[in-house]
Amino acid sequence: MTARFAFDAAMALAILFAGVMVVHRHPVKSVLALVVSFFALAVGYVLLSAPLIAAIQVIVYAGAILVLFLFVLMLLNVPAEVRQTPGRPIHHTLSAGAIVAFAAALLAVFRSYGASSAPPGPLPSNPADLAPLAKLLFSDHILSFEALSILLLAALVGAFALARREGSP
Amino acid sequence: MTPNGIPIGDVLLASAALFTIGLAGALLRRNAISIFLSIELMMNAANLAILGYASALHSLEGQIVVFFVIAIAAAEAAVGLAIFVALFRHTETIDVNKINLLKW
Amino acid sequence: MSAADLGIAALRVLAPVLVMLIVLPMLQWVERRGAGLIQDRPGPNRVGPFGLLQPLADVVKFFMKEDLIPSNTDRFLYVLAPGLATFAALSTFAVIPYGATLTAGGRSIPLIGADISIGILYLFAITSLSVYGIVLAGWSSNNKFSLIGGIRSSAQIISYELAMTTAAAGVILSAGSFQLTEVVVQQGGSWFALPYRGWNVVPQFVGFVVFFVSAFAETNRVPFDLPEAEAELVAGYHTEYSAMKFAMFYMAEYINVIVASALTVTLYLGGWTLPGFSPSGIVGVLVSILVFAVKVSVLVWIFMWVRWTLPRFRYDQLMRLGWKTLLPLALLNLFWVAALALWKVL
Repeated sequence: MTARFAFDAAMALAILFAGVMVVHRHPVKSVLALVVSFFALAVGYVLLSAPLIAAIQVIVYAGAILVLFLFVLMLLNVPAEVRQTPGRPIHHTLSAGAIVAFAAALLAVFRSYGASSAPPGPLPSNPADLAPLAKLLFSDHILSFEALSILLLAALVGAFALARREGSP
Repeated sequence: MTPNGIPIGDVLLASAALFTIGLAGALLRRNAISIFLSIELMMNAANLAILGYASALHSLEGQIVVFFVIAIAAAEAAVGLAIFVALFRHTETIDVNKINLLKW
Repeated sequence: MSAADLGIAALRVLAPVLVMLIVLPMLQWVERRGAGLIQDRPGPNRVGPFGLLQPLADVVKFFMKEDLIPSNTDRFLYVLAPGLATFAALSTFAVIPYGATLTAGGRSIPLIGADISIGILYLFAITSLSVYGIVLAGWSSNNKFSLIGGIRSSAQIISYELAMTTAAAGVILSAGSFQLTEVVVQQGGSWFALPYRGWNVVPQFVGFVVFFVSAFAETNRVPFDLPEAEAELVAGYHTEYSAMKFAMFYMAEYINVIVASALTVTLYLGGWTLPGFSPSGIVGVLVSILVFAVKVSVLVWIFMWVRWTLPRFRYDQLMRLGWKTLLPLALLNLFWVAALALWKVL
């Protein structure tokens, strides 16, 4: 019971701050709201018996990716959005319609597939133990793991090549 | 029902709400960085759904998938921000409506 | 969970926090007298015998100073930043074991805040969050020097975090677990048998050096304190802070020093163990806490000693050291540990 309550509270916090992120005009405040949202999500992940993913979420997502966003925003001094007077009524109406339709479709799908008919696998003896996860990662998924490291190298080289100033080494 | 007693419906509802909020942000904001942040939020909503099912079906494969998704999101964020920096240096604006040189 | 259980859990978490907060003024006295000793001058000696009441005078000063908030700043973030820095610094201590397991009254109480399965990863996660305290302080002060100091400091922290975590990965590899209690217990064995079960500093000396140097950079201490250097940036990210908010940054820095020392002791210097000592009963547990405290104090003194001895690195030298020297050394250390584990030495 308390786990469910804690999870619902964490998710409510995550959704609240995600809303703040989407609505706020200033990009730096948006990023900070998203940091809180991701931290609340990490709390939710711990309650879903995934402590390693929660730690990785905080270290990588909230602690590295969003810091990178903040650096770019601060160094380029990106200004706050200003509300434009002509507005974009057609765009806004169509978007609102699309969002409502999509939300309805998503809820319908979840309602019909929510309770999965697949039988649950064997209950792990100690959900907090990280050794089985590590074994699985380095045996069945070793190829994906190595491919991921090559992907990160490609991203590193690509980001460097894209962001450097013209004519500098 | 996950081992901790959290019904899968809760997880899916939260995931749907986060995804819809992200979608709204991606469609309605004019600022390129805000659109990017909304896309990251959508990816996290997907992660939540995957982890919810992984927990309910007592499977570890779900956690491995999420691990890879987070790493790929990191790579994507780095390259996306590099593109953003290069764009900003050229055009001095971040309003996506004004970046329209490739329009017909 | 009975009330007694909850009380014991709360005490386990609060005891080290309270000890750290009480020890802080004494640390400040040690730093200033130690600085005097190293620089061949007396240090504070006016307030009380040997200047022992100087920290009290400083606290009174901090309370009495005018608490300004500059205009055109974001008030919420400006006030939040020092609190965030202090909170992150204090929370990191939750996973560090400070004594042997106490068996009393039918319960076995591990002397650690929370013995979670992801142990040291929690610590790295909270360190990642402490970057935000600094970045927010720098940005919300509405001041060029603060912004540059804040960005430099956070770039330095995330760069040295890599070398630090790779060095710690060597220890995790040899211990086979993320939990620091496990790491400490495995260092309490024999130094002269195979597999080696003594302090990790011996087989992983390179890792120890990398980790300790990175700890200096993580805590913004000399020789890596360019982001808050007086000659360069006024006072870096805490230029615009006065009175209690500045005191909170100051506290956060000292607490970070204590936590970094405690972590180094836990990972490499055997934590609360001593060779040939197995704690039994209450006396054994108290002795183990004392051993831990002494080791942490020695490392904190080394932090201060280095501060008043070495000049500081220039920013590009600092970044070059972190990326081009420490990170490859940490990776080599990881390969070395893996080789030792393969040859059944560890």
